[in-house]
Amino acid sequence: MTADTRGATPRTATAVRILPALLLIGLALVGPWIAPHPIDTPVTAPYAAGTGEALLGGDQLGRDVLSRLLAGGRDLVLASLLVAVLVTGTAAVLGAVGAVRPLVGRLVERIADVLMLLPSVLAILLVTLSWPGGGRFAVIAAAVVLGVPYAVRLTAGAAAPVAQAGYVEAAAAGGERLWYLVVREILPNLRATVLTLFGLRFVAAVYLVATAGFLQVGPQPPAADWALMIRENSAGILLNPWAVVAPGAAVALLALSVNLAASALAPQTGRKAVPVQ
Amino acid sequence: MAGQLTPDTTTPAASPLTAERRPARTPAPLLVRAGLVLLKRAALLAALLALVFVTVELLPGDAAKATSERGETAADLAARRELLGLDRPVLERFWDWMTGLPTGDLGTSARGEKVTDLVSGAFPNTLLLGGIALLLTAVLSLTLGCWAALRPGSRLDRAVSGTATAVLALPEFVLAVALVLVLSLWTGWLPAVTLTDAGGSPASWDMLVLPVLALTVPQVGWNTRIVRAALADEARAPHVETAVLDGLPPRRILTHHVLPGALPAIAAGLATSTGMLLGGAVAVETIFNYPGIGSVLASAVTDRDSPVIAGVTALTGAVITGMLLLADLVRYLLTGGRR
Repeated sequence: MTADTRGATPRTATAVRILPALLLIGLALVGPWIAPHPIDTPVTAPYAAGTGEALLGGDQLGRDVLSRLLAGGRDLVLASLLVAVLVTGTAAVLGAVGAVRPLVGRLVERIADVLMLLPSVLAILLVTLSWPGGGRFAVIAAAVVLGVPYAVRLTAGAAAPVAQAGYVEAAAAGGERLWYLVVREILPNLRATVLTLFGLRFVAAVYLVATAGFLQVGPQPPAADWALMIRENSAGILLNPWAVVAPGAAVALLALSVNLAASALAPQTGRKAVPVQ
Repeated sequence: MAGQLTPDTTTPAASPLTAERRPARTPAPLLVRAGLVLLKRAALLAALLALVFVTVELLPGDAAKATSERGETAADLAARRELLGLDRPVLERFWDWMTGLPTGDLGTSARGEKVTDLVSGAFPNTLLLGGIALLLTAVLSLTLGCWAALRPGSRLDRAVSGTATAVLALPEFVLAVALVLVLSLWTGWLPAVTLTDAGGSPASWDMLVLPVLALTVPQVGWNTRIVRAALADEARAPHVETAVLDGLPPRRILTHHVLPGALPAIAAGLATSTGMLLGGAVAVETIFNYPGIGSVLASAVTDRDSPVIAGVTALTGAVITGMLLLADLVRYLLTGGRR
């Protein structure tokens, strides 16, 4: 990773760019416990404006928007984290295996070529509708399957030079097993790539899980979920804009802050720009 | 999110063969190469269609059961299964699905309607929306990417790259809601919902503005980064350095020396965006009540109608294949002649 010489030291600069994401994720995780009202009982009139009792007003059934906002992010964050962890882990192992066994690498490459023809939103719909009992698990499984082939491209690219390093070839020639080569020799050298990849996959997962929620194939009513709140309350957007704006801002801030964090973790490439002038 | 920043510029399947023939440059190898690319794209599309069938087939639950009403007897269910052809052997149905698609038969919905009939009115509207959004994405991302590339490392470059990175992760439906609230409900400048004329198309052009914007912004972010990265890559090429040393003006170097070499990667990026635009359109159309596949799929979601979504994925797969072929064409026109 090349050092960022502007302003503060690189380490502090990176920390500052990661902090918003960590704060928001932390708030979403503890949110359900600090919600002032239960999420499924009406406390105001439908789409009532904000009052002292319900700061952000009521939703389409008069439930407290603030409480549902606090409660509605945890599952989105947890599902996205799970998807990112699974995709990154699988891709790291597959990429390392592919570097030692080229056939595996080529197979994954072909699968990625096929999946490029399948828009991720449509793929999520396809899986959730074909598997009506799948629920949340169907969304997570689909997001993982869709993410892995692309992620493997990144890890395979990083693993290839490592696999050709002298000590790995020596170990391979010494008759070490594939598993030993992958876990002990290659994976430890992919730390930077894996960290970057995790950030990118988390961004992608937030997008997919939120869109699935909005398309009503994720959490089902009466669950509190930011994306679902936007869908449910959009009819009353003029009566109580907060019922839509608050969850909308929450999804947008989550996407932006995680993205900011991911790009802070990524090695700075492309800074060496066009040498014109 | 397609999940990769630099789109793959796949090497043609027959590169070892063509590499040695390149110096001759007779028309025949070019045709052969074009044929091989076409064949490869067709094979990938066929693989996608098989994958869609297998997904629907292997996952627990089928269309007849998913759409069953409460109190329906086992006999009713069996009758519907027969109506939908679900009682026939898997291989026979697979054969029907694969051979029906090239003839325009996208299968039968769980309600017994032809999927082709369901989407034939809506899909052109979605293509219109996606097509305008793709054009706008191409123009904006090329402009922004080149603008930033002319002043590398400047505040402008950082601002463009930073903003592009920020917006590429925004879900389209969040943007759409924000746009409706600000540009329609509060200011009244643009219509919030799409009204259709007698033919089922959007009644006026201003109804397209907000849906197109919601779709375009994240894709512009994505593609600006690709343009910027592709230009930076190409700028390291020796011929560009020569041009710089020759003292040519920066603008001319960009348009005549850097951009041509970067275009294949940019075209591949835009082709990949097609899928994102079509997927994003599903969510955006629901918000604006736009008469496209989004509304067809919304009712499919309510009905748990998996054959409809399978048919739509087949259709979008074909469209994306077409766009990738265009990107292939750009690459051949630009690199086939020169190298």
